[in-house]
Amino acid sequence: MANNKGSKPAKDKRIKNNLTAYAFCAPWFIGFICFTLFPIGFMFVVSLTDRKLNGLSKFVGLLNYKNMFSSPTFWNSLKVTIMFTIIMMVVTTIWAVILAMLLNHKQRFNGIFQFCYFLPSVIPTVALAYAFRTIFGKEAGLLNAVISIFTGKNTSINWLYDTRTVYFAVFFITLFIYNTGQMMLTFRSGLNDVPRELYEACDLDGASALRKFFSVTLPMISPIVLFNAVMGCVSALNGSFALLYPLTGESGDPNGMTQVLSLLIYKEAFSNMKVGYASALSVILFIVACVFGIGIFAVSKKTVYYEN
Amino acid sequence: MYSAKAKKRAGRISILILKIIVAFIMFSPIIWVFSGSFKTLTEFTTSSNIIPKNFTWENFRYIFNNSNYFLYVRNTVLLMGGATLGTLISSSLVAYPLARMEFAGKNVIFAIIVGTMMIPNIALIIPQYIMFGKIGWLDSLLPMIIPACFAYPYNVFLFRQFFRSIPKELDESAYIDGCSKMGVFFKVLVPLSKPTFATIGVLSCVFWWNELTQPVFYINSDQWRTLTIALMTTFMYTSGNAFVINWPSIMAACTLMIIPPMILYLCGSRFLVEGIKTSGLKG
Repeated sequence: MANNKGSKPAKDKRIKNNLTAYAFCAPWFIGFICFTLFPIGFMFVVSLTDRKLNGLSKFVGLLNYKNMFSSPTFWNSLKVTIMFTIIMMVVTTIWAVILAMLLNHKQRFNGIFQFCYFLPSVIPTVALAYAFRTIFGKEAGLLNAVISIFTGKNTSINWLYDTRTVYFAVFFITLFIYNTGQMMLTFRSGLNDVPRELYEACDLDGASALRKFFSVTLPMISPIVLFNAVMGCVSALNGSFALLYPLTGESGDPNGMTQVLSLLIYKEAFSNMKVGYASALSVILFIVACVFGIGIFAVSKKTVYYEN
Repeated sequence: MYSAKAKKRAGRISILILKIIVAFIMFSPIIWVFSGSFKTLTEFTTSSNIIPKNFTWENFRYIFNNSNYFLYVRNTVLLMGGATLGTLISSSLVAYPLARMEFAGKNVIFAIIVGTMMIPNIALIIPQYIMFGKIGWLDSLLPMIIPACFAYPYNVFLFRQFFRSIPKELDESAYIDGCSKMGVFFKVLVPLSKPTFATIGVLSCVFWWNELTQPVFYINSDQWRTLTIALMTTFMYTSGNAFVINWPSIMAACTLMIIPPMILYLCGSRFLVEGIKTSGLKG
């Protein structure tokens, strides 16, 4: 059809075809302009002003950026954001693969297991945060109680406020969030698509389970690993607010150790009412997201295997 | 032969044990919340028993009597229903040409959609906040429902993946029967894509039921408060003392919030794995 460009009816048909397709795409296009492209441009503009929450604003040039780069809070927050995103992405992806592989091992009661594995991810992140604030609590916390039973010693660690344990506690909680469950589903679907003959060939060769995983499973699901890594990265940047705000507050206790950029943006915009400065922070968060995206695709070019 | 069989059996049992341990870990926060909601404040802050000693309904009574609980439920349901319906219709319409038609600029559009999937919403929330403030949408559900009616990239992507797995011959035979493009969409693709509609519908409902970030930014009056914000404000403190966090009542509110997604999951779980197609992720 594409070859007979010369004849008029075919050309008309092509134009009509294009127009139909564009009509279907229109909702996305309008949304993209209004809710993505325009806000991106507007964000850069606002970041050059000293806009306050009440709407008063004055052009100040690069002052916000200058203040930002000389603020230790910002550098700490940037560091925390990058670390948090990478570790959360890795931890949740690995956990989702483990859950998916356990569930894909056909056994009795699989329905119950899937229910137990998936349910935490459909409960509200706020509820999860509050549950863990008390589970990790110093007095009457579940974790301390369990450790006390197993070790016989009386443990009283304040997991979320101790600088040594806070990261362990926070990353443990990320195993339960929405995104982990969603990743588990995509991995399950991907694992089901791996041809059985490949495993049978492995069995004939007498390959170990570990070998099977790294030589067959992982390469076959690598496009899904990439997809989930991208989604995990976005959700780490995006979802960290909903998790950390009820968990450790807008200042990211203890000592700003969990103050990711999104918390800082909220604090600057609504507690300190400096919307212009918050916009400058948003620009940085936007750039961080872009760098992560490009980085993941650069790595994936080398490692992802596509079946043709 | 016998030893190989025994080995296999041992392997199966050890996997089963592993599964049970993982299930306990994954389910522990939910059990903790349920049990906490039946404890008194004193018991909650002094002991970590799973089974409450003084079983009480007081926390649930407290929530229903001391807050506009049903108003919050209404707001949350409105938000969830509006956003889900909007995204299901718009995302499936946008995914259709991307999966089925050849047209100029298709690859560019798809690349932009995948690209925007990677922009975290929170990076754009401050300019959006100012924008919605200018048109007077702040302190309502509109800043969340209206954008949802203009197709979410992630949902477009999932729809496209599923549409591509439906044989193209079905479209062609429908064309021969005299169907238009619109007709093919409604008569062929939509009926065959029920699992995907169910999956994305369930995931979207769950997402909006649980969403905290956007309501926290956009809503500040009690009138449009959603359950997630109420959890952080209204249920937080005991009426007499502003410094004692009323944990059992938070746990009771959490329990009430966990139950609907739980039911939704039980109804939709059949579709969940079926509805997500990951095959041919590249193309």
